[in-house]
Amino acid sequence: MIFWEIAKRNLRIHLLRSTLAMLGIVIGVVAIASMGILGNTLVLSVSDSLHTVGDSVIVSPYTGGGSGFGQGGGGGGSANLKITDQQFQQIKRAVAPNIAIPVLQTADIMKLGVGSDTIVAPIYGLNPDDVPNIMKLKAGSYSRSDSGCLVGSTFATDHNVKIGSRISIGTDGDKGTLRVTGIIEERGISFDISTDSAIVVTQNWFETTYNRNDYDTVVVKVNQGVDSAIVKTTIEKQMNKRDKIVTVMDSKATLATIFSAFGAITTFVTAIGGISMIVAGVSIFNIMMMSVTERIKEIGIMRSIGTQKREVMSMFMFEAAILGTVGSLIGGVLSILAGYAISSLLLNTTKYLFVWSSAIPIVEGVCFGIIISLACGIYPAWKAANLSPIEALRHE
Amino acid sequence: MVFLREKEQEVTGPMDDQPVMLFRDVVKVYPLPAGDVTALDGVSFRVDRGEFISVMGPSGSGKSTLLNLMGCLDTPTSGDIFISGTRIGDMSDVELTNLRRDRIGFIFQYFNLFPLLNIIENVTFPMMLKSQKEVDPEKGKEVLRSVQLEDKLFTHTPTEVSGGQQQRVAIARALVNNPDILLCDEPTGNLDSKTGAGIMDLMTELNRKGTTIIMVTHDPHIAEYSKRTIRIADGRIVA
Ligand SMILES: Nc1ncnc2c1ncn2[C@@H]1O[C@H](COP(=O)(O)OP(=O)(O)OP(=O)(O)O)[C@@H](O)[C@H]1O
Ligand SMILES: [Mg+2]
Repeated sequence: MIFWEIAKRNLRIHLLRSTLAMLGIVIGVVAIASMGILGNTLVLSVSDSLHTVGDSVIVSPYTGGGSGFGQGGGGGGSANLKITDQQFQQIKRAVAPNIAIPVLQTADIMKLGVGSDTIVAPIYGLNPDDVPNIMKLKAGSYSRSDSGCLVGSTFATDHNVKIGSRISIGTDGDKGTLRVTGIIEERGISFDISTDSAIVVTQNWFETTYNRNDYDTVVVKVNQGVDSAIVKTTIEKQMNKRDKIVTVMDSKATLATIFSAFGAITTFVTAIGGISMIVAGVSIFNIMMMSVTERIKEIGIMRSIGTQKREVMSMFMFEAAILGTVGSLIGGVLSILAGYAISSLLLNTTKYLFVWSSAIPIVEGVCFGIIISLACGIYPAWKAANLSPIEALRHE
Repeated sequence: MVFLREKEQEVTGPMDDQPVMLFRDVVKVYPLPAGDVTALDGVSFRVDRGEFISVMGPSGSGKSTLLNLMGCLDTPTSGDIFISGTRIGDMSDVELTNLRRDRIGFIFQYFNLFPLLNIIENVTFPMMLKSQKEVDPEKGKEVLRSVQLEDKLFTHTPTEVSGGQQQRVAIARALVNNPDILLCDEPTGNLDSKTGAGIMDLMTELNRKGTTIIMVTHDPHIAEYSKRTIRIADGRIVA
């Protein structure tokens, strides 16, 4: 149609200002889309590293919440707070048939072979019966023997540990030497136990070596089809009857909280990107108004020889549409690049970029760009269409 | 004079004895902050089919205002204007626009071609308005040849041709939809007398073929081409 052609030509003869207006839209789209991509990538990478084998509920001793300002100094710091075996049995009964797993945890000095450096690493003590319920091995086998241990995958790579390697625990190995029987699959940051840089020993060995008869935490593996929130409430009801004795954390609810926080952050930064889009819209509005003012006479002639108002309007809307669509599409392409750059700089990985959910912010950004451009074109186009033909003709 | 299209014996137009245009006590007042300006003050006249009229009068006497009302670009403050029997005060903007497109041709002093379109596109523009689709450029070329424009200029832009040539293009644009009425506001005002005479020959020929022409001019020589002259002063017809 002729009006489409006129719109195109008008943009072309004012190439510089058309390009600048378009550039605004490009920046707006890139700002919105790359922020969205970043948020999405963040959520994906966090949910990937927060690898949980099903839902779990973690019970730990109550540390006193707002903490004792008047509680009398020193004594009873959180290090001393444990879950007793009696309390564990109560939890176990309360949550049955879901499995309750007592966990012992400390950190100690250790040495890997003669002449190697001394290192400090977390040590978990677990009942060999429970281990297969919590973690999978990527090499070797679960150990039932007290002289065997499992190591986390990061631990294994960092210290070049293999199946059969020996680890001496304590200063000069005074707590004994353990043989590595298996390497645990990577679990990432987890709410229950984080084994990647740790070693896992038997409960028996742990209790004997560190002279313990209580536990640090209890992990309840929630069976499929059971609501972890109900398990959490059950434990709280059972244990915190009079005083608050334990803190119960529901991994699912915690994850949900974390993701909603990410969502809020993403929305916020995207909104900042949105401001640049508004600015871009204003510049579209500006050049459209310029275009109308320059062409008042031309509009008058068009109207006088029989061009309808809506046709004049469409001619200007085409201009806004071309600026918006071309700018937004260029912005869409560039935001993939920007997303790539941000992901590789901030997260050191781009593997979450090429997934469908990353396309959503791009589509949103492009649509928003087009909508803003059209919206900002409406008033100038309307003004052009409603110029009085004689006023426009008299215009010099 | 080369080929000019014979005006088809009016089949679409209303009854033949209707005046093409009828003004009855037309008043046009422009309300301005400094006080109202009465541009036309009770003007009555009729224009019959096939007339060639020139409108003369001093500057500011209301000639352009009169022409704009004839061209349905504006509506009168009071009084009635009938175009082929239809009262334009009763018509919507869309209807008036269609009337301008289909029945009226405009020619301006400053040619007023569209700078973004080439010559052939300028001429076919009103055809596209009417048909709402792409049109055959042949029709446009035919009309351009009839106003004696050389073929080699057809794809030029308006700024690349002379004033006389631009005015020929403007006339071709005004004629392309076969209007009944041609309204011209000082069509030769921006041309030298020789070129102006050429344009006037063209208009005379058009009038001979049946087009009603109303032309505003300052120039008595140009007015001689017309068959009747309306003289206007201070918004009133004086002769
Ligand atoms: N749109 C308008 N708004 C206000 N006043 C107007 C308008 N158009 C015309 N006038 C006034 O109406 C009067 C008649 O103007 P018009 O343009 O019809 O004169 P004209 O005879 O065509 O003059 P010229 O020979 O200089 O073209 C003038 O006083 C002019 O200032
Ligand atoms: Mg005038």
